[in-house]
Amino acid sequence: MSRQPIYLDHAASTPLRAEAGEAMLRVMSECFGNPSSVHRWGRAGRAALERARERFAAAIGAEPAEVVFTRGGTEADNLALLGAARLVPGCAVACSAVEHKAVLTTAHALAGEGHALHVLPVDGEGIVRLDAVSAALTERPAIISVMWANNEVGAVQPVEQVGALCRQAGVAFHSDAVQAFGKLEVRVDRTPVDLLSFSGHKFGGPRGVGALYVRHRTWLAPLIHGGGQERGLRAGTEDVAGAVAFALAAEMAEAERDWEAARLGGLRDRLEAGLRARVPELAVNAAGAPRLPHVCSVSVPGVEGGLLLAALDVEGIGVSAGSACSSGALGVSHVLTAMGVSPGSGPAVRFSLGRTTTAEEVERVLEAFPALVGQLREMAAA
Amino acid sequence: MEKRSVLVAMSGGVDSSVAAALLVEQGHRVVGVTMKTFCYQDTGSHGKTCCGLDGILDAKRVADVLGIDHYVFDVEREFTRDVIDDFVQEYAAGRTPNPCVRCNGNTKFRDLLRRGRMLGCDAIATGHYARMGVDAAGNPVLLRAVDAKKDQSYFLWALPPEMLPQLVFPLGEMTKPEVRGIARRLGLVTAEKPESMEICFVPSGNYVDVLEQRLGAGHPSLAPGALVTADGEVVGEHDGFARYTIGQRKGLGGGHGQRLYVLGSRPSTREVVVGTKEQLARCDVRIAELNWLATPPSAGAPVQVQIRHRAPAVPARVSAAEDGFIHLDLDVPQSAVTPGQSAVLFDGDIVLGGGRIAA
Repeated sequence: MSRQPIYLDHAASTPLRAEAGEAMLRVMSECFGNPSSVHRWGRAGRAALERARERFAAAIGAEPAEVVFTRGGTEADNLALLGAARLVPGCAVACSAVEHKAVLTTAHALAGEGHALHVLPVDGEGIVRLDAVSAALTERPAIISVMWANNEVGAVQPVEQVGALCRQAGVAFHSDAVQAFGKLEVRVDRTPVDLLSFSGHKFGGPRGVGALYVRHRTWLAPLIHGGGQERGLRAGTEDVAGAVAFALAAEMAEAERDWEAARLGGLRDRLEAGLRARVPELAVNAAGAPRLPHVCSVSVPGVEGGLLLAALDVEGIGVSAGSACSSGALGVSHVLTAMGVSPGSGPAVRFSLGRTTTAEEVERVLEAFPALVGQLREMAAA
Repeated sequence: MEKRSVLVAMSGGVDSSVAAALLVEQGHRVVGVTMKTFCYQDTGSHGKTCCGLDGILDAKRVADVLGIDHYVFDVEREFTRDVIDDFVQEYAAGRTPNPCVRCNGNTKFRDLLRRGRMLGCDAIATGHYARMGVDAAGNPVLLRAVDAKKDQSYFLWALPPEMLPQLVFPLGEMTKPEVRGIARRLGLVTAEKPESMEICFVPSGNYVDVLEQRLGAGHPSLAPGALVTADGEVVGEHDGFARYTIGQRKGLGGGHGQRLYVLGSRPSTREVVVGTKEQLARCDVRIAELNWLATPPSAGAPVQVQIRHRAPAVPARVSAAEDGFIHLDLDVPQSAVTPGQSAVLFDGDIVLGGGRIAA
């Protein structure tokens, strides 16, 4: 390929920040001691780990003791839901219909264990219906989970209101903030939320490191049993290097958040306006909702999604469909289904912008994408 | 050699892996695709066949080693409709289908060409053991593979003839050991994969499982009926005519005084007809759903016909052609001419075309 490929799949994963990578290597070689050991090597590891915890806690307005490092966002979601529900045998649980599979599948697993599951419907813009939240609260669930912002269409959920309702009812409120952090203000000292999930590789940190914020006096049963690390909530020798890189990347993301969100929002709006103008019948999903600044999901009728994605890749443009299974084949998006988007709207394509995205890249996509859609439509009509 | 952009269908097996590798070595631009033909979760045994998730991941690893792009296309809906449903209906109607022929003709190749064009490819390659050549007039023709033991041209007669100029079969001149040797030399993960002999959507190896699952165990084709001779004498009972194929000996019970073979079935009365080995032999074959990859043979023309995979092609003559059918007179009677199976007509190594054997 003559021109640089264009990566527009930052909601799937982001390139590692150089500083985070360097910090990781440094900590791995210099602070290799087990944080639980009594000697100087252990103390050095402990110190690095706890500094990372403090720095991340500060970035979200939490107390360090409220931060549990996990092996990723999915584990954080699992710990929140399973951990809260299993303490109350037979309790109900609730989550929105547009949750990431890390939450939705976990909630269904709880249903399989005998918990009543309330899946909260969303409106046509992907926003959870507050009346459904209120109704679910009357069932006294052990936990309600509503994501901060949706990964497929970018719809930002009314976490303030949901949190307020939960607090009123005395129900633990979990939110998956994996996509929101670094793009929106995510602060636990300003939002009534009890549990929050984070994932390092969504904001330039390493893969395989995440965190669960656990507000004081929110009780969870651990999933991983062992040596009592992470206040007994996540056993296993701590990934100190991962935690340090995670916290560093989080600090950097938070420091640049205001202007980076504005920059990405501008690029996204330009992309969206151009797509609307150049691709007939294209529809922007969740267009009427408050949205993450870097996500743009469009439905394109008359084309085959998998082939469009492959053709875009051949052109050097990397984007996602609504959802993909482990084989790489495309499935039907539960998010769009929950929003009532009809299958006739065509397959969804998600563009997600990030630190490396430039205005020139957006213009190149605006040239290539409409042309490919045109070719695919001609082919389908032939 | 002319450099082309070739879309290669990679199942995750050794043959298609090496086909892709050879094309890369020859300097073509190569794009790999794997078709997800059914949901491996449904079969509860992913990994046993080449089309499951493990096959997809193997294909991706081979593509990575070869430095080519690779995509997965979900053709489950089309495959279910065109191949699996047909397979089930054929058995339910007392015939013995050939799903690989159906897939090649209706699903795989058409789809590959269509998708390939979108990915900038002008040729389609697979790991089939077959060759492309040109006839005296310079038209492309499909030929048998050099390795007669591996030849798969039998499965390719139903391809749309207009596709012939776009087809590439890199393994047509090779033997299986040579193919494995190349895979080892390149360190491909698929080098030592066992041969997949089963039908990809029948992971258990027993097609009756698929029939029971999709028709229900109570379906008439799976329900007991009478074993009868050609004269109508009832000689026993069977447990569903779809469980029997022509020429089968097993499962007929003993005590008949002579060795019995399945001659056919009568779905309307749920009878399975049995008889002697001599009764199994036939000289006339009627073929429907014809597809020609070369000029169709005229009446009286000598051809060779192959009536099942791995069977030798035998001399025959086109005795009559009617609308949508031809009749063949076999020079030597053949055992177990089986409705639903493919009859493929050859002129030497050239695949002329073929059809489904009609009752």
